[in-house]
Amino acid sequence: MSSVHDFDLLLRRWSKHTQLTAEDRAALLSLPYTRKSFGKDAYLVREAQPATECQLLLRGFAFRQKLLRSGARQIISFHIPSEFVDLQNSVLGVADHSVQSLNRCEAAIIPRGPLMELAEARPAIRRAMWIDTLIDASIFREWVVNVGRRDSRARIAHLLCELVKRLQAIGMGTGETFEFPLTQEQVADATGLTAVHTNRTLQSLRRDGLIQLASGRLTVLDWEGLRNVGDFDELYLHQAV
Amino acid sequence: MLQSHARLSAEDRQAILDLPYRIRKVDPGAYLVREGDVPTHCSVLIDGFAFRQKLTGEGARQILAVCIPGDAIDFQNMFLDISDHAVQLLTRATVADIPRDALQRLVLAHAAIGSAVIYVTLVEASIQREWVVNVGRRDARARIAHILCEFGVRLESRGLASGGGFELPMTQEQLADATGLTSVHVNRVLKTLEAEGLITRQRRNIQYVDWRALQDVGDFNRRYLHIAPEDHIAHHA
Repeated sequence: MSSVHDFDLLLRRWSKHTQLTAEDRAALLSLPYTRKSFGKDAYLVREAQPATECQLLLRGFAFRQKLLRSGARQIISFHIPSEFVDLQNSVLGVADHSVQSLNRCEAAIIPRGPLMELAEARPAIRRAMWIDTLIDASIFREWVVNVGRRDSRARIAHLLCELVKRLQAIGMGTGETFEFPLTQEQVADATGLTAVHTNRTLQSLRRDGLIQLASGRLTVLDWEGLRNVGDFDELYLHQAV
Repeated sequence: MLQSHARLSAEDRQAILDLPYRIRKVDPGAYLVREGDVPTHCSVLIDGFAFRQKLTGEGARQILAVCIPGDAIDFQNMFLDISDHAVQLLTRATVADIPRDALQRLVLAHAAIGSAVIYVTLVEASIQREWVVNVGRRDARARIAHILCEFGVRLESRGLASGGGFELPMTQEQLADATGLTSVHVNRVLKTLEAEGLITRQRRNIQYVDWRALQDVGDFNRRYLHIAPEDHIAHHA
């Protein structure tokens, strides 16, 4: 297994929570898929679309979102390489929300049939996929708390802490600096705030010496401080599962 | 609970019936799971109501979901080793506790049962996403209307309410904690919805007067509940 495969990062992430045999790995690596590139803001999945395939993010960032009838947008989660952006749709049958790219990204498009057959035939892979969707759900719960009961400073600090922890877990980001392709408007849509309020809050986090944000990169200057402001406890990410 | 989501063989059914479990009665306010618990069993709510909640560092409470009879309480803990939130009873309830390892073995050995359980946990996740939207981007009136619509449709799909309305087992404070509002605000919104002729209230009994308008106010589209149309009893309120 010396050659580099598109699913290597996924396998590495899964092996932290699920023991996979050589056969499990081989079965996963022999899944049929096509590679697809997306520009910024492209739709990977549209709400109400029937699920015929599943998309694994290989490069770049994506986000899940729902639109209200009023046209307001709520971002529901962010996704980074090695994550499935729509695994649940293969089981539920229809997309109940949309997924868009945050920057240029690349995904492996896996047809639903073979993926579901693989999950059915291989309990360990079923378990790994299941844990992924359960961790997604745990993150959604935390986001309800974030928008429901935290003030604007805490909401944004919490969001930053979460991204940092998740990027660290897949080895993206060196030291204190991380890729951060979100616009202020997207931060606002993820935290239930206005863009103006978000701008002001980000400035206050900078002024307090907690972070630096410049040209798509986030630098954490004071992790403990940021974490305190954000009321952040990483238990819900279940990274130690 | 699982039957509506998967075609289970006679063998699958027998395996479910053979699961060890313990039935217990629980009082309102009691915790079924606490945040940080290492789970040893997973539970199913046989009757009664419960809610999922988290506390912020400052002690503010956010209710994350309301569990109705037939719901799995903490099946996510089957594969997650630490409970990331608490579950508390809203009413007196009957609960079936199933040992975690027996359930793990069952879902890994029987793919069809596994799929059915995954389906249930994924619908929960979908409801959770909708709540992010509800609390993040809807105004107070829409948030309350939305939660009333959701509760009604879910109860009906289990045959626990019919057409006109339901008993809401929550205080105004709990409604506030579920919608990210204050209880004063919730009280005002409920009065407004009543004054506008959308609902009537008698203690905790909520009746729909204008179901369509309530859905409009709540920006409610039931797609996220993933309830098959045939499971649903039509509304004619």
